Amino acid sequence: MKFKILVANRGEIAIRVIRAAHELGLEAVAVYSEADRDALFVRYADQAVCIGPAPLAESYLFYQNILAAAKSTGADAIHPGYGFLSENASFAEACRVLNIVFIGPQPMAIRKMGDKAMAKKLMREAGVPVVPGSEGVLGSCQEAKALAAEIGYPVIIKASAGGGGRGMRIVSEKKELENSYNAAVNEAQKAFGDSSVYLEKFIQDPKHIEIQVLGDKHGRVVHLFERDCSVQRRHQKLLEEAPSPVLDEPTRETMSAIAVRAAQSVHYDSVGTIEFIYDIRDKAFYFIEMNTRIQVEHPVTEMITQTDLIKHQILVATGEPLSLSQEQIHKTGHAIECRINAEDPESNFLPQSGTLSQFIVPGGPGVRVDSGVYPGYAIPPYYDSMIAKLIVWGDNRKDAVARMKRALREFVVEGVKTTIPFHQKMLQHKDFLSGNYTTSFIAKMLAAKGDH
Amino acid sequence: MLAKLFVKCQQCGTTHFYSFFKHAYFVCSRCGHHFRLDAPTWLKQLCDRGSFQELDGNLKSLDPLGFPKYESKLAQATQQTGANEAVMTGVGEIDGYPAAMAVMEPNFIMASMGSVVGEKITRLVEYAALNKLPVLMVISSGGARMQEGILSLMQMAKTAAAIRRLHESRMPLITVLTDPTTGGVTASFAMLGDISIAEAGALIGFAGPRVIQQTIGQKLPEGFQRAEFLLEHGMLDIVVPRKNLKKTIVTILKIHRSRPYTRRPQYFN
Repeated sequence: MKFKILVANRGEIAIRVIRAAHELGLEAVAVYSEADRDALFVRYADQAVCIGPAPLAESYLFYQNILAAAKSTGADAIHPGYGFLSENASFAEACRVLNIVFIGPQPMAIRKMGDKAMAKKLMREAGVPVVPGSEGVLGSCQEAKALAAEIGYPVIIKASAGGGGRGMRIVSEKKELENSYNAAVNEAQKAFGDSSVYLEKFIQDPKHIEIQVLGDKHGRVVHLFERDCSVQRRHQKLLEEAPSPVLDEPTRETMSAIAVRAAQSVHYDSVGTIEFIYDIRDKAFYFIEMNTRIQVEHPVTEMITQTDLIKHQILVATGEPLSLSQEQIHKTGHAIECRINAEDPESNFLPQSGTLSQFIVPGGPGVRVDSGVYPGYAIPPYYDSMIAKLIVWGDNRKDAVARMKRALREFVVEGVKTTIPFHQKMLQHKDFLSGNYTTSFIAKMLAAKGDH
Repeated sequence: MLAKLFVKCQQCGTTHFYSFFKHAYFVCSRCGHHFRLDAPTWLKQLCDRGSFQELDGNLKSLDPLGFPKYESKLAQATQQTGANEAVMTGVGEIDGYPAAMAVMEPNFIMASMGSVVGEKITRLVEYAALNKLPVLMVISSGGARMQEGILSLMQMAKTAAAIRRLHESRMPLITVLTDPTTGGVTASFAMLGDISIAEAGALIGFAGPRVIQQTIGQKLPEGFQRAEFLLEHGMLDIVVPRKNLKKTIVTILKIHRSRPYTRRPQYFN
């Protein structure tokens, strides 16, 4: 088998894919914007095609030029990476029509999972737990009361037309319900001209836990355990670890089995992630969405399972049966990933652009750096601010944390401010060390700092 | 088959893959050009699936004046579009809100208004007045149909009179003016909406810009007769890009009827 892969992405993920292609003995074609002329991934590729000016809409999202580049270089397959066109079902369809293998799931799975309401409905039908609540608009306060009694307090009442916290009420006990219901209805009417509201169980301070799945075109789906991505700032993940420090073995097994079932229900045939919110108190978990692509944080899974997800993704896309069975997948040790962003944590994580005068990556045992930059490289202001992913592996969580601290200390980046100092602070924090942190951890940590 | 795979923008020349284009509401992602849509596509974009029920679909134009080649032109238009006339009328639901709807078919002799178009619009509006339904019209037209002469012109007064009766029944008329809305249609029902919405960049006018320029002997201002120009000069209420159109219409329907019918109304006797 000999073929050529066009990588429709940039930065570290483009390099990650090129590396996998080269290790499989395949050729890789890079596409780049005018702003990425000097980027490392362009040098690593066997061939490179400029596809347009710096703005995303005119280059990395301008699929017409990407398809033309694929055709003119004779590429047989396109790897979309993450972001950009990776979850665009129309793009996957276009590839299929042009006889190019799209390295990702079949378009129908992307489309189904991309529509949040439909995804929830499908998952409910497949027996995957979703956040319990009213399936549509509430008719009356009586209905709200009956439902709340059934699913248990606290509950949250939200405006159907809502957003931005308006028309939203958290109700912690029964006697507040009537007042809150009326207030939410009034507020919704005033703010959106639509008084319809719905009710859901309110999950306070959840953890964000996701299960990595991998399927092939022959109906086999396996899972590769979970990742804990609860360290988030405004829904942006900053640090991920696997396995999750709070999951016990039975919960892990149930969650993984359900994730496999969820993937099977849409005939999933590539790498994907089923995201759950996890309530630490009652160990309950609820489906939130499925990402139908490779994820930024995939290396932590690779580290604990000793697998190469991108290679598997490429091979199953060509129709090969999965070479792994569930019994062959084991996890050992603990892995942590820190996203090193060119952002200034001191001034509200403002993205930085500029030239890297120094860039020395850490090394030694158990350390992996996935990056797309080099010393002297000028970070263009048009794209994502992530410059590197620092991943470490240790025998256990304590070792991994210690190794991460050591690696962060070795990491030298000069020329722009980065999130390295922020990660160092975070790794000292008792809530992080306990493992019990939730998605509000960063907000609380930043607020506490502001109090001083 | 290949013709449906790729579409080229008439304005900027960008080639679009059909599936992308469809999901972008048939708007060029590069230059924002809004492509003209046929009536079935409009209904698919606006109505809840399966909710549209056509009215008077069997009405067909005759050739009352014996106008040369009119009959063959009608037959050809029917063959091309699969429609009997240049407007499709009926009742449908938009996000659960029922409305009487008229959608013009631009590929049918430029959606020109002859006796049948006038009659179908009139019947729809009267039906809506009687059954207390708001009316939504998606309009595009080259004007009155010359092959039916004075009979076409009469439709202007007829449709306007029907809309007056709709007003008396206190039901709203929402018009969506798309590219192009011109001639006798502009001079009658297209301008009688309680709320006039236009699509971005649509040409809306009575006489065309070329005719006006030649008549008055002056150069016309930039953007003359385009939706944005007309909005600025007070002829329209709002200009909406197509992707927000349904949302806008639903909001208006919501305001005029605070919540969807819990029970399906009886549309037909």
